[in-house]
Amino acid sequence: MTEYPDQQIAVALSINGREHRLTFPACATLLDVLRDALALTGAKKGCDMGACGACTVLVDGRRINACLALAAMQDGKEILTIEGLARDGVLHPLQRAFVVHDALQCGYCTPGQIMSAAGLIAEGRASDEASIKEFMSGNLCRCGAYPNIVAAIAAIADAAER
Amino acid sequence: MTASDERSPPRIEAALKVTGAARYATETPVEGVLHAALVVAPIASGRVREIDDRQARAVAGVVAVLSHENAPRIAREGVFIALQTPVVHFAGQVVAIVVAETLMQARRGAAVVKVSYEELPAVTAIGQAVDPPFAPRTAGRTATDSRRGDPESALRDAEVTLERRYTTSTNNHLPLEPHAVIAAWQGDELIVHTTSQAVFAHRLAIAECFGLAVDRVRVVSKYLGGGFGTKGGAWLPVLLLGVMTARQIGRPVKLELTRAQMFTLVGRRQETIQQLTLGATRDGRLTAIVHDTLAQTSTYGDYADPVGTPARVLYACANVATSHRLVRVNAPQPNPMRAPGEGPGSFALESALDELAHALGIDPLELRLRNFADHDQHTGLPWSSNGLLECYRVAARSFGWEKRPREIAALRDGRHRLGWGMASACYPVYRMASEAAVRVAPDGSVKVRCGTQDMGTGTYTVLAQLAASILGIPLARVAVELGDTTLPEGPYSGGSIATASFTPAVEEAARQVCRRLAELAADDPDSPLHGLAADRITIADGYLRSENQSEILADLVARAAPEGVEAVARAAPEEKSRHSSYGYGAVFAEVRVDPELGEVRVTRLTAAYATGRILNPLLARSQFIGGLVGGICMALHEDTVMDERLGRVVSDNLADYLIPVHADMPRFDIHLVDEDDPHLGGGIKGIGMLGTVGTAAAIANAVFHATGRRIRDLPIRLERLLPD
Repeated sequence: MTEYPDQQIAVALSINGREHRLTFPACATLLDVLRDALALTGAKKGCDMGACGACTVLVDGRRINACLALAAMQDGKEILTIEGLARDGVLHPLQRAFVVHDALQCGYCTPGQIMSAAGLIAEGRASDEASIKEFMSGNLCRCGAYPNIVAAIAAIADAAER
Repeated sequence: MTASDERSPPRIEAALKVTGAARYATETPVEGVLHAALVVAPIASGRVREIDDRQARAVAGVVAVLSHENAPRIAREGVFIALQTPVVHFAGQVVAIVVAETLMQARRGAAVVKVSYEELPAVTAIGQAVDPPFAPRTAGRTATDSRRGDPESALRDAEVTLERRYTTSTNNHLPLEPHAVIAAWQGDELIVHTTSQAVFAHRLAIAECFGLAVDRVRVVSKYLGGGFGTKGGAWLPVLLLGVMTARQIGRPVKLELTRAQMFTLVGRRQETIQQLTLGATRDGRLTAIVHDTLAQTSTYGDYADPVGTPARVLYACANVATSHRLVRVNAPQPNPMRAPGEGPGSFALESALDELAHALGIDPLELRLRNFADHDQHTGLPWSSNGLLECYRVAARSFGWEKRPREIAALRDGRHRLGWGMASACYPVYRMASEAAVRVAPDGSVKVRCGTQDMGTGTYTVLAQLAASILGIPLARVAVELGDTTLPEGPYSGGSIATASFTPAVEEAARQVCRRLAELAADDPDSPLHGLAADRITIADGYLRSENQSEILADLVARAAPEGVEAVARAAPEEKSRHSSYGYGAVFAEVRVDPELGEVRVTRLTAAYATGRILNPLLARSQFIGGLVGGICMALHEDTVMDERLGRVVSDNLADYLIPVHADMPRFDIHLVDEDDPHLGGGIKGIGMLGTVGTAAAIANAVFHATGRRIRDLPIRLERLLPD
């Protein structure tokens, strides 16, 4: 009989402004807790090792790969996922820009791109196209929507600066 | 073209995708679902000697361990299904499946399954092959070999000859969404949620493998996170394992591939070694082309990309021979990946033309103009349409090609060298039969139903546009259902086939609905249009009109056909076409090379495409850019590195296997050349593949122009450009 130390841990997660009291294995990633325990499947699992960015969410306003973060370590932090970006059914300006600029094809990398873009703008790194390209390079897109993604982000960053 | 206009509405499903609400296959909630984890072989050739699963079965939550010792026997011609025998063909092959209540438990179980092997000598690279290369039955959909005229004599007599060897690397498709299946049996009925580019083909294969009537199997694929060729036939072997596991255990099972498993279990673009010989006159007219391709296939299946297609059709040349040969390697089975054959084949042909142009002192574009084919010399048929010359003209002008210096390494930007290169592109038009249903509801809304898939190509949107346009209603009033075998049978999504196939079916169904609406109005005493000739009633803007009378479409349906008005239509291509049909393009690349570091950056890509009727220019442009990005990575990045001692994939993750990122993107300048092809039903040529054709050669040619270094082996990495 093989024994594994399946220590369960109780954590309070604040996700999209809502408190969740959850118990899950101490080794569970934030991504797995979001997708499996909470059915928040907007954050995608593309590689499960921090190489594609499809699972990007904001934690206390900073973008992270949810697949590399232990859920248990997010106790008391504010987590924002793609599901929490639109308010009262109204799309966030970034979401609208992605639609209008056709900044998506299959859509699988899209939530990660948008959350990463939200983090990028907050970091003040959306000032020009070169900076957007450089600092969005952790978010892979296999369909090749890159130039439209950059155009969408630039449009919102410009609007935010005006 | 970022703003949408009437012809270019944004994707109708975009709001679902930008909010995270679109549910992909693995996100389908299924009650009581178990999770499967795969145990794969670390050896490249041999047999499983013994499987000890005692420790795995003792892991908390583990429900079952399947291997060749206890798995049900299933078979399908031409498909290698694991767990049927102890034989191991390649490193990464599935040798056991562990099923548990949670994925974590299944993976724990898989980690402690003890497998011992009897290892056999393996061929792990084309160069190690002992057996001579053999001729496959086909090369893609084309003949293995071709021959016209007398290439040998023509080469002997040619004023100029050029003989070169080009190689392309193994690539993997790697859509961002990993493959997944959730199989749930209910008695003899089965529902399969899966990442499918071909729900009907998958349904048929599953039904036949498990001895079921096709109407007992439902395959669903509503949102697909990319495909590029890996989620059709290549996915079937593992998909079948998922279904088999669920059947064996009697509970729903979810099987998802890890990123690493996507490098071994679901196909690859095969490595090629291409020998290309050109004969020409001194003024650059081709007199002979001989294009011989040697490629890798697996030890258990034959597959050859149609690498020779561009050499057969793209240029006027009386004497052409092409061939495709395969070598068996203990490596995963290759299969079509975006622009299969035409992508790698155009790299060789279009590089060789550039070499010829340089040798003769002729401008590379001028050389191509001198060799334009005014008909298909491979089949002898006339083109249904051929917009290649217009593509050259439009793209060359926009790029500024006339300012290209003939000299090598003449363009500088500080310590960087700039270079300009170009190439032609072609991709054949394929179509298959398709059905589609169009229905107007009593509230005037419309639903289009077609069992095809949208893997990011815009299928949802163009299906809606086609119906909205004929029925004269706003796009917002049209809903689309696809990706489900309960719908009318639609085409698979691959080979640039889908849109060309479903368009005539949807348009015919919509026209039939219009006719019935007109007849309803003419026959209905309560309609203002009563008694008027049905064939003179027009439908637009939500109204039926004739002479000075009109009626709101929704009012008519609600009153005269409260159950709605529906038509189902089928469209199939002509069995034997009297024309040869290809989509065409011309691509121009600018690169910036760091001569000390060997680093290449593509700074500009200008391309023009003539591909028949374009349904949505905004989405078409996006798809062409996607194709061009596929060409950039073929040129500069992608290489599935194999350990030739162990036969394992070394670069089996998205950090080591380079795919282009935001920072690798050039400025794109895309032109869609209008083309009305009267010989194609629906007028559609398909656009998904074409961007990946020619692009790698245009970039390699630009690298030569920048540096004088002719790189004939892809990808062009730093080490290939370092100073000697």
